[in-house]
Amino acid sequence: MALATHAWWLAILRLLGTVVTGVVLGWLFGHVWAGLAAVLALHLLWQLATLFRLDWWVRHRSYAAPPNLGGSWGEIVAQVMRLHRRKRFHKQRYIQLVRQIQRSTAALPDGVVILNAQREIVWFNRTASTLLGLRGHDDFGLRIDNLLRQPEFGRYLQEAQYDVPLVIRAKVAPETHLSLQVVPYGEGQQLLLVRDVSRQVRLEAMRKDFVANASHELRSPLTVVSGYLETLGQDPALDPELRAPVGEMRRQTERMTSIIRDLLALSRLEESDAVVEEQPIDVSALMAMLRKDVLARAEHPRDINIRIDSPAQLRGSESEVHSAFSNLVDNAAKYTPPQGSIEMRWWTDDGGAHFSVTDTGIGIQAEHIPRLTERFYRADPGRSRATGGSGLGLAIVKHVLQRHAALLEIRSAVGSGSTFTCHFPAHRVVTEHEELREVV
Amino acid sequence: METADLTHHISRRFNEDLERVRSKVLAMGGFVEQQLQKAITALVEGDSTLGEAVAMDDYQVNNMEVSIDEECSRILATRAPAAGDLRVIVAIIKTITDLERIGDEGEKVGYIASRLATMERPADKYREIKHLGRVVSDMVHDSLDAFARMDVEAALRVARQDRLVDEEYESIQRQCITFMMEDPRTIRRALDVMWVVRALERIGDHAKNIGEYVIYMVYGKDIRHTSLDDVERELRESFGGPPPSAPTAF
Repeated sequence: MALATHAWWLAILRLLGTVVTGVVLGWLFGHVWAGLAAVLALHLLWQLATLFRLDWWVRHRSYAAPPNLGGSWGEIVAQVMRLHRRKRFHKQRYIQLVRQIQRSTAALPDGVVILNAQREIVWFNRTASTLLGLRGHDDFGLRIDNLLRQPEFGRYLQEAQYDVPLVIRAKVAPETHLSLQVVPYGEGQQLLLVRDVSRQVRLEAMRKDFVANASHELRSPLTVVSGYLETLGQDPALDPELRAPVGEMRRQTERMTSIIRDLLALSRLEESDAVVEEQPIDVSALMAMLRKDVLARAEHPRDINIRIDSPAQLRGSESEVHSAFSNLVDNAAKYTPPQGSIEMRWWTDDGGAHFSVTDTGIGIQAEHIPRLTERFYRADPGRSRATGGSGLGLAIVKHVLQRHAALLEIRSAVGSGSTFTCHFPAHRVVTEHEELREVV
Repeated sequence: METADLTHHISRRFNEDLERVRSKVLAMGGFVEQQLQKAITALVEGDSTLGEAVAMDDYQVNNMEVSIDEECSRILATRAPAAGDLRVIVAIIKTITDLERIGDEGEKVGYIASRLATMERPADKYREIKHLGRVVSDMVHDSLDAFARMDVEAALRVARQDRLVDEEYESIQRQCITFMMEDPRTIRRALDVMWVVRALERIGDHAKNIGEYVIYMVYGKDIRHTSLDDVERELRESFGGPPPSAPTAF
């Protein structure tokens, strides 16, 4: 700063000196004003020349050494130089940073594609190019859905439900499964993450096959065992001491049979995501049948009520819906004491159709509710085994409802009972005739 | 190239229209590709439900064709495009016709697949058809990729691939004839297989056509009914080889 002021003082002194020289010279020759004008004109010319040199330097060779202009001009040149150097330093640093980031993203085992708001490809790393078959610089600026044309991907982009990744088959290698996930960021920009999940998909398929095959293989020997046990139990010559153990063995084989039956049902449900056969289901008839089933149990709650508030029918697979509803009603019957009651209800509104089962049973503690539909999850291990369930009932319910685009809602209070409600979307409702019935 | 060319049109809306209709063509292409793949899978794995599903879904291809066709007419009427843009629209109108035909052939394959699923399967499990199907669906995929990228080289490659398909078609045909002569009981099945192979061969031709439209779109040259070598020579002479950036509106 001191230097700069110094330079400016010098410049002013120089100007003053010029003026004085001009006046003195003019006075010597008798034309004061002419002398002054001549000297000032010279001064102006010199300034212009310097300005031209400065301009030329800035324009053409700002990287070369600056011209030696001296005075306040020299000061300006020095400032420009300093700015330059700082800018160059920062630029280098940014370039290095960008290179580092690019190198690290390129080395990622997952594919990354950067998309702009129009879903045009801005950049992608090497893994993405191998997995998706994208090509070097050629594909920059192309829309991603023009190259990834799988209809599922188009739907995924349209629905914009990005919290779940989408699994598709790769086009480059048909046996490869890719998981695609879009992560929006910044202003409309999106990051497309690509992962090769063939291994997981294969393992999952193997697991499903294993469960299905194992259950199937276990069924035949179990049938033999339970057959012999049944004959044995009815044999009058059986030692009375053995009667109780044989009875217990029969009960346990029955339970095993029901577990295997449910496992097979589950693996069938898992085979595909959508319902294949669709027909209108008469829900009121189904409910009457379920009521009869409960009444046929050796021990059942006193009141089993049916309340039908809508004549609407449900579109779906009858056998699947039957098994889901009967599992819900069975559970209610199991956990409700004989003096309690169960109510089944069927109604429709703007949101769709709803089926609920309410019991006055023992209820479920709140912390168990989110995990109830897991396989073999038991809220109270001791009690559930005593009632002889397979532990798969609610898992079946969940799968069936998923295939019908429906939701399961569980409300419960310990001691006062639970309500299980199935919410079916409006497109699954068939309304034909209007009538209101109440069957008690 | 893309962003620089966007300012090329005075009307931004026009560009958006063109880009949208082009994306719709490619989406239709994606659907057709999937249909074809499903049809081949249905045949090779003897899955009659899948075959029927393919045949059922063909109406969607037709709907897409109609909708794109309408949009093209609207663009022609309201924007009166010229030069490169006009070529793009003309190429799109032709491309969707071929895509629709591919869809129809796929439907046929799906339908026959569901019928063949009920019959006894040959010992080779339709290995030849599987291979031919792979080649043909790759051709469709590559031709659409060339369409998306405006890639002349790739389009020429697709056109060249068509010869291979024709050769394989001949060889499967000969094989079928041998089967029929050896054992007349296989005639019914062999005839169905012939239909499938014929459909696949036609799909190869349609894919080749799409590749030709890409060349037309980029260079404004109609190369139909010309031998490939001539085409290539001519392109190299008049343009000094495919240019690094194609003169397109996108």
